Amino acid sequence: MFVTVAAPSGAVAGTADPTPRRRRIRPARLVPYLYVLPGIAFLLLWTYSPLVQTFGLSFYDWNLLPTSPKTFVGLDNYVEVAQLPELHTAIVNTVIYVAAFLVFSLVLPIAIAMLARQVRGRMRTFYQALIFVPFLVTPVATSAVWRWLFAEQGAIATILAGAGIDMPNVFRDADLAIWAVVVIVGWQMLGFGVLVVAAGFAGISPEYGQAASLDGAGTGTITRRITLPLLSPTIVFLALMTILLAAQWTYPIIDLLTQGGPTNSTTNIYYLLYQFGFQNFDTGISSAAGVIFFLGFGVIALVFLELQDRLSFYDN
Amino acid sequence: MAFVAVAAPVAVTGRANTLQSKVEDLAVGSRSHAGVIVGHVILVALALFSVFPVYWMFATALRAPGDALDQTLLPWPLSFENFAYVWNTVPIGSMLVNTFVMSLILAAVQLFIAILAAYGFAVWDFVGSKFLMFLFIGSWLVPFQVTMIPNYLLVSQMGLLGTVGGVIVPQLAGAFAVLLMVQHMRAFPRELLEAAQLDGRSSWSTLWTVVVPNMKPALAALGIMGFISAWNEYLWPALIMRQGDALIQVGVRSFLSAEGNNWGATMAAAGLACVPVLLIYVFLQRYVVDAFVRSGLK
Repeated sequence: MFVTVAAPSGAVAGTADPTPRRRRIRPARLVPYLYVLPGIAFLLLWTYSPLVQTFGLSFYDWNLLPTSPKTFVGLDNYVEVAQLPELHTAIVNTVIYVAAFLVFSLVLPIAIAMLARQVRGRMRTFYQALIFVPFLVTPVATSAVWRWLFAEQGAIATILAGAGIDMPNVFRDADLAIWAVVVIVGWQMLGFGVLVVAAGFAGISPEYGQAASLDGAGTGTITRRITLPLLSPTIVFLALMTILLAAQWTYPIIDLLTQGGPTNSTTNIYYLLYQFGFQNFDTGISSAAGVIFFLGFGVIALVFLELQDRLSFYDN
Repeated sequence: MAFVAVAAPVAVTGRANTLQSKVEDLAVGSRSHAGVIVGHVILVALALFSVFPVYWMFATALRAPGDALDQTLLPWPLSFENFAYVWNTVPIGSMLVNTFVMSLILAAVQLFIAILAAYGFAVWDFVGSKFLMFLFIGSWLVPFQVTMIPNYLLVSQMGLLGTVGGVIVPQLAGAFAVLLMVQHMRAFPRELLEAAQLDGRSSWSTLWTVVVPNMKPALAALGIMGFISAWNEYLWPALIMRQGDALIQVGVRSFLSAEGNNWGATMAAAGLACVPVLLIYVFLQRYVVDAFVRSGLK
């Protein structure tokens, strides 16, 4: 029943059906809630109620065993977690990951999309199809093939040996391991970024550039003053996504290839939550750190949405 | 809302028509030979960088076991011994079938729940709809890792630890599927809904006889995206299954750590783990790219 849909349909219903409106509206009012109910129920059960529970657990000392008691410790977990050197390492690493992926998913895609925009038609479709492939490769396969490429007898070592360079074992090297993870996940995200930016470019009406060109603006000026500002919704979106999700993108690769090591050099904030919770069985510390990250990212997201409203030049 | 910003599905697959291309030329400076060549060089390099590791995985897998360390570009003579070894060592066939069925169930249920919710949001204006919508949007900001301990406890209380069911239940409703579906439904022509209502159809029958049949491409894209995401999900299966040979992510992980540097065999197992998704991509490329690039989410 669409009685309550909108003004025009309400009018139609009024003429079509002589029954008093009041009686018909009541069941109709329930209808939309019924449609939304299954989704909301799952959301509450698996996202919001656990979020509240995580918040609760952060005030208790507990080891995940149903039989052992929970001890209320107030804010002790927060105090403890803030002093943990692992947390500082994880945060620094996460910032490195975010910065590196801003290059892979934003800076390089924009540069590539600009340099390659004169390639069109079938060839472009073909290239884009290939570029997107890494995004679809499943994490176990990604980590397996890159472990092989980086192996002592693998392709990269062979090529470097040809150039007279001796490649160390990257995953055992505390300075190199994080960059290996960056390359692997960057490889997966680059094609995705290129396609999103290409879609953003395609959404920009060419008339603005055309007009500016007629006014004597050069390619550089058009890029700086027209194309990039009009692309800003896409840029803000990709940047926000990278910041929020960089730690999630790296999680499987870290777990499969380095387990956060050597000496915590590749760990990130979410991998740390896993280690606190499921390796040390310290739910209090894991939850306290989780609450801190959740709030931190929440603030960042709000700032970005505000930025998007202020900086975006919408193309109407 | 952040992910509404990515627009223009048309161009996603690069099908800019010639007219638009010409106008674009005017806009960005005319299309020069040099520019076209630079573009091709960059895209070829990028395509090689993207595809080479995947090619190398299959190339290594297809070498005879004795040639595993070969670095020649073409695997010759071809051999399926590595695949046979994987097949005989682990129940890779049943892992693939289990994961396939699991991903299919997840995609179907997510789609069903998303269709219902999106229909509710897009067609009616009801008290609290903004707030409920906000719950879906806001879930984007709740990283799974923050809620995984309570989720784990709930699955454990349900007695589903170590089962495929335990992997499925928390993922049954996808907030992203709902949000994308709402966008599509809001674009659905009102006139058709009103016409259906004049015909005396209930909202339920309107949904399934008018709305859904007219949204097949969007539904296909979303369904495929759900399937691929479920297939590639790593964290939760790894946590719930720990070990075992039921699902491909966990089973192949165990195989990889057991085989160590047996590169031919590990590449064969890794290759098999990607084959279903890569096949979907080969045949349904447009839907796959549309879905992921429009949503911008994995």
